[in-house]
Amino acid sequence: MSPLTVAVLPWGVLVGSLAIDAGFTLWESQAMSAILFAGAAQLVVIGMLSSGAGLLALLITVFFITSRHLLYSVSMRRRISPLPLRWRLALGFLLTDELFAFCSSMAGCSEKKSSEKPTASETNFDRWFVLGAGLSFYMVWNLATLAGILLGNHFPQMGAWGLEFAVAATFIAIVVPQVTGWPVAVSVIVALLLSVILHLNSVSGALALAALGGMCAGFITEQLLDKQRPAGTADRFAETASEEPTP
Amino acid sequence: MILLTIVILAALVFLSRYLFLEPRLPLRLSVKGERFLHFSAPAVLTAIAAPVVLLPDRTGVDRPELWLAWDNPYLLAAVFCVVIVRLTGNVLLTTVLGMSGFVLLSQMVLV
Repeated sequence: MSPLTVAVLPWGVLVGSLAIDAGFTLWESQAMSAILFAGAAQLVVIGMLSSGAGLLALLITVFFITSRHLLYSVSMRRRISPLPLRWRLALGFLLTDELFAFCSSMAGCSEKKSSEKPTASETNFDRWFVLGAGLSFYMVWNLATLAGILLGNHFPQMGAWGLEFAVAATFIAIVVPQVTGWPVAVSVIVALLLSVILHLNSVSGALALAALGGMCAGFITEQLLDKQRPAGTADRFAETASEEPTP
Repeated sequence: MILLTIVILAALVFLSRYLFLEPRLPLRLSVKGERFLHFSAPAVLTAIAAPVVLLPDRTGVDRPELWLAWDNPYLLAAVFCVVIVRLTGNVLLTTVLGMSGFVLLSQMVLV
């Protein structure tokens, strides 16, 4: 079982209980998890729908929240776009924060061992394994939502329990081991600061903007460090393979 | 009506997840582009976790507010998670212990 399944559980319970709290029917609450399948977007949709927001306002807000998924699909493009349509549709539907985190922790493990073979990262992508993880998140998410719907009637103040910490705990556990050098460290620090500042100022699309800022910072740091290093000692296969075929 | 709204929003969310998985979309990533995307996972996951820990929803507070203090159970539990994963390298163990630590802190210690 993936640790991410553990993190999905309380978060799903929270979404279910909040939907019931906001006055949605059992079916509407469950449909949100079954069709939308997006935690952060669901929380906002619940809040906005119950306060009577219009469709256009909802679409714009959800677009900003969901824009980070564009980053996920670019990152997964090399591995998923060659697959047949039904695989692309299935993995696309299941491509949540958690599945992306799952794939990134897998890629992180395989990259260290296979730094000499450029094609290794592609063969290490097991579509069935990723589909299984995605489906298990989908199932647990929906069961947890149902539990939240049923429990929410008994514990109406569940929103104040801090169930969302589960997600933070998992993401910390995934990110910290990935910090293996200055570029990633800088990327993480910049993303953290930007995310806090942008959220404090209630900027739309704060998540995607903070992530992009962190990625730029990490990339620039890496480029600067590469320039300082004398040529020929680059240790990454992408560069050694394309620029220096013979030692 | 609510169901229809949910379906329309779901279409938008799906589109954002699927868009770049479509091979007919003309986009070729250079080596530098690939390096840039290497930072997407740590950057996005940090951007999601940071406000949960540092700007938690508190009863009686409407706008997000920075809670940088020793009695913030989210912050203490987050530091705890960093220590455990550094020591053990085990993601599942860290998640479970971190959540237990958080519940303990928020429900019993720092009430």
